Amino acid sequence: MIRKYVDVICLNDKGGNVKPLFLIWDDDRKVPIKKVKEICPRASLKVGGSGLRYTCVFEPNRIRHLYYDRGKWYVEMNDHVV
Amino acid sequence: MKRTILHCDLNCFFASVEMLYHPEYRNIPMAVGGDRKNRHGIILAKNVPAKEKGIKTAETIVDALKKCPELIIVDPDYASYEYFSEKVRSLYYEYTDRIEPFGIDECWLDITESISYFGSVEKIVNDLLRRVKEEIGLTLSIGVSFSKTFAKLGSDLAKEDCSYYIDSLDEIGNIPVGRFLFVGPSSVSILNAYGIFTIRQLADTPAERLEKIMGKSGKTLHRYANGIDDDCVSLFGSSYDPAKSISNCITSSRDLRDLDDVKIVLTAISQNIASRLRESGSYYHTVHLFVRDNKLKVRTFQKRLKENSDLGKDIYNNALILFETHCDFRIPYRSIGVAVTGLSENKDAFQTSFFENSSYSLKERKQETAIMEIRRRFGRNSIDLLRAYEDDTLSKTVLKNTVSHTERQDRPK
Repeated sequence: MIRKYVDVICLNDKGGNVKPLFLIWDDDRKVPIKKVKEICPRASLKVGGSGLRYTCVFEPNRIRHLYYDRGKWYVEMNDHVV
Repeated sequence: MKRTILHCDLNCFFASVEMLYHPEYRNIPMAVGGDRKNRHGIILAKNVPAKEKGIKTAETIVDALKKCPELIIVDPDYASYEYFSEKVRSLYYEYTDRIEPFGIDECWLDITESISYFGSVEKIVNDLLRRVKEEIGLTLSIGVSFSKTFAKLGSDLAKEDCSYYIDSLDEIGNIPVGRFLFVGPSSVSILNAYGIFTIRQLADTPAERLEKIMGKSGKTLHRYANGIDDDCVSLFGSSYDPAKSISNCITSSRDLRDLDDVKIVLTAISQNIASRLRESGSYYHTVHLFVRDNKLKVRTFQKRLKENSDLGKDIYNNALILFETHCDFRIPYRSIGVAVTGLSENKDAFQTSFFENSSYSLKERKQETAIMEIRRRFGRNSIDLLRAYEDDTLSKTVLKNTVSHTERQDRPK
């Protein structure tokens, strides 16, 4: 597993909350985030790093973790996918 | 009322932060080391595989590589260490507002008032261990006791990611006296010479006798060894005690071989200290000089001034006098440091006499203030004394190590 930094389009709401809406993949594909199930501070033991962990539901009902660490977003990925 | 104090120590902190972002280092010997080019090449922290290979903190990188040639040396990233240190402290703050830092990776927490709210000491301790590991990705050792010194000893005795409870002196009586806080190697040899080998023996020795052996610190040690420690854990974010000294030490990129080299270093150091003095609005009374030769032998000297001052010029002149009086160049010097102590917020009144005038010059002060203001606005390198530039390579490392906080916004040339 590796840590892969990604571009993310977010909504900064009036209450100061940050909600990720789309994840932009390397080929400029916009992947919509259907729902954020949970936000909690967590370290990623698989790929390293520590920050806010967003548990996101992507189409079609796939749950993945998106981490926000000091201004950058990253996901955990299998080496062979990259 | 018996207090409950925790001492939380982040395990091999610098190395753990590096491993957090580089999981590939977890199972191979890795250490965080200083800058070898500028001869700051010592091990600052190491991970468990490196520890198993016999690598020790503060040994030189050269020695460490001899023991373990496959050792990976990582450059320190202080911004990250400060970030994680703050993050862990914010987590502590959820449990108590009495948090006193002891270095970047250690803190005392007084949880006496929080126990009834959270349920029990064990619950708080286990929560802290779990949350720091899960949420931040680092591990803690926690010492739990009724005094700060015993809590610190507890965290030293605790294994990684574990806690250690000390409820009475009996539990730690047989531990060697050298493990105790404030007992360093030279104190150990003195105490051992008087037949004091364990903490129990230290506690049983009368305070007067310890005072005779150890000086002022003897009485304090006696109180601490008996668990008598009234020091309260200070409030989180409360202002720190005012500084007792301001110092700056430089290990130069090459050995200092003559007085000109020393002058370059002293110029930079004295300006740095003067700038920090001005920021804190303090005046100093005593100048200390510290020299380490290239055989690593350290010597210190001090001089008390007739009247206190906040001038860089006085620091420079007095440090140079100390150097010229006590040092020669039979062995070249590796590091030079200067400290000023006897700090006060007010300028002493000085009684001038027929033969003696005050050496404190308002003109000099105005000049130094102008230099500091220029540096604050335009960067550290925007203005300097010519003598700081007499040797290019030396000046570069020296200037790099003597930038004060208000001068950090250096503009690129």
